[in-house]
Amino acid sequence: MTVLEELNNVFETVFEQKGLTITPETTSNDVEGWDSMSHVTLLLAVEDHFNIEFRPFEIANLKNVGALVDLIEKKLKEKG
Amino acid sequence: MNQNIASICTTLQCHQGNADKTALRLIHPDLSRTDYTFKQLDQFSNRFANVLKSIGIQKRDVVFIFLPKQLEVFVTFLGILKTQAIAGVLFSNFGREAALERLLDSSARVLITKSSLYKKIETILPGLPTLKKIILTDIPEHLDESILSFSKLMEGSNDQFETEPVDTESPALLHYTSGSTGKPKGVLHVHGAISHHLLTMDEVMQVEEDDIYWCTADQAWVTGVTYGIIGPWAKGITQVHYTGNFGIREWFEILKQEKVTIWYTAPTALRMLIQQEAQVFNLPQEFPDLKRIYSVGEPLNPEIISWVNQRMKREIYDTWFQTETGGIMISNRPGIKVKPGSMGKPLSDVTAGVFSEKNEKLESGEVGSLRLKKGWTSMFRTYLNMDDAYRSKFHGEYYDTGDQAKIDADGYFWFFGRNDDVINTSGHLVGPFEVESSLLEMDGIVDAAVIGAPDEMLYEKIVAFITLKPGFEWSKSFEIKCRIHVSNRLSPVAVPSEFQVTSTIPKNRSGKIMRRVLRARYLHQDEGDISTLEE
Repeated sequence: MTVLEELNNVFETVFEQKGLTITPETTSNDVEGWDSMSHVTLLLAVEDHFNIEFRPFEIANLKNVGALVDLIEKKLKEKG
Repeated sequence: MNQNIASICTTLQCHQGNADKTALRLIHPDLSRTDYTFKQLDQFSNRFANVLKSIGIQKRDVVFIFLPKQLEVFVTFLGILKTQAIAGVLFSNFGREAALERLLDSSARVLITKSSLYKKIETILPGLPTLKKIILTDIPEHLDESILSFSKLMEGSNDQFETEPVDTESPALLHYTSGSTGKPKGVLHVHGAISHHLLTMDEVMQVEEDDIYWCTADQAWVTGVTYGIIGPWAKGITQVHYTGNFGIREWFEILKQEKVTIWYTAPTALRMLIQQEAQVFNLPQEFPDLKRIYSVGEPLNPEIISWVNQRMKREIYDTWFQTETGGIMISNRPGIKVKPGSMGKPLSDVTAGVFSEKNEKLESGEVGSLRLKKGWTSMFRTYLNMDDAYRSKFHGEYYDTGDQAKIDADGYFWFFGRNDDVINTSGHLVGPFEVESSLLEMDGIVDAAVIGAPDEMLYEKIVAFITLKPGFEWSKSFEIKCRIHVSNRLSPVAVPSEFQVTSTIPKNRSGKIMRRVLRARYLHQDEGDISTLEE
């Protein structure tokens, strides 16, 4: 499973939308319920799922899902 | 003149020479725009009024809108009012339970939504016997007799509609607000409210014909209806609305690109701008067209006032009102000296006072209950199905706002907090009972209590205290499950920022949660009188 596919599962769970499909270009404007409030829960769920931890400056300006995938991959690599 | 709110916002504007003037400028997430004139708004809403008539909607029926910000929110809202049905708007991020409670309590007959949000409704439909029709904005054809296509209905509908003259006491608007206990209450307003809305546009906003006005509030909030639909259009003013999510680059760009002159926003949004500005470069440095900024939802703190004054080089005026008051009651505004941190002064049709627990009017400098004398037209007329609760809010001729305030020697009001346990988080009122009920549904939690605690960004954050089943272990994964549950059942706004596991929840002898004690413990303050605490 790719990081994007795993992330897709996290999105489905957090936003309770079975069948939701995200792409690297997906932004918060494309996902029902993804706003500044639910973003916190989403990131916590991502951290928990991938067993990684974000630092505040890393997540301040994530443009889209693609940027989040890049960040997750970087974190996983650091973790080894 | 017909006092129908929608008629004043559209038909009257066309008669007064504004037919070809831009009423609505929708800014899309890519910052492209689509303009709609007053004539188009009038015709679209006429069509929708005819649609509602054709499916059997009658005066005083409740019709709800459950959509993110998009053209159909405005068109359907105005169309509903033209038929003299009652219009309500649900936050599009509401979860199943939050939507169910409101649709059920109001006996809503029709819901306007879109396919993705309809999925939430589908699961609660069996509990909504009065909901007869659902209109989806994004399907080309009707699905069956009750799931209808908005575009199909509009296609065959006449753009002429004779809006009947309305009695000023006719119900028009329904907003739900949270309380300390029980379920949210349906706050009912009438068509006659528009005269107070207009007065506030003159006295507070002081709009002029060529203003470009942007109220950032969601239409599910009283501010989004009164000042993001009714007030500006009733004055013939062009409104900007952004359909995307909050983003610093986008917001700054809209202010500049659209030459916004009057901007009405909230302290939390401004705090986010302040926090993020340092991290983002190449933002517009000047806003030559911007005249004034207004704020609502929570008190403005000096940091924001100073940032706005220095960074944006403009004055920012705090305004105060509630869902129940329907429009601004007390404000800072051009023409009176701004006292930073104060609520400002009451409007010309508002008599406000501060009272003691013994119902005595207090002198200046003393803190007490903020009350408003009955008589302003946008005052709520009842809490739907809860007339006792409505009556309990009045002390003689005065409505008790539930806020604590004082008046200074110059007649300025100063906010001191709430009398009850309602939490004001980023401008949204959240009832602790709703969150506690939701948490108690989680397997593993046996007791829960929720309080509001001061927060630099949100004004108040939600803190949850929970007691776990014996042997059940708290974990980050479980916290996330709790968050997701509350978010999807109620709303992301209602999700606690912090969870604390505790062995007991303090309650009095009748079993009522003593949130005051929890708050004191959390803030390391004196717990006060705990003589009624359960042993």
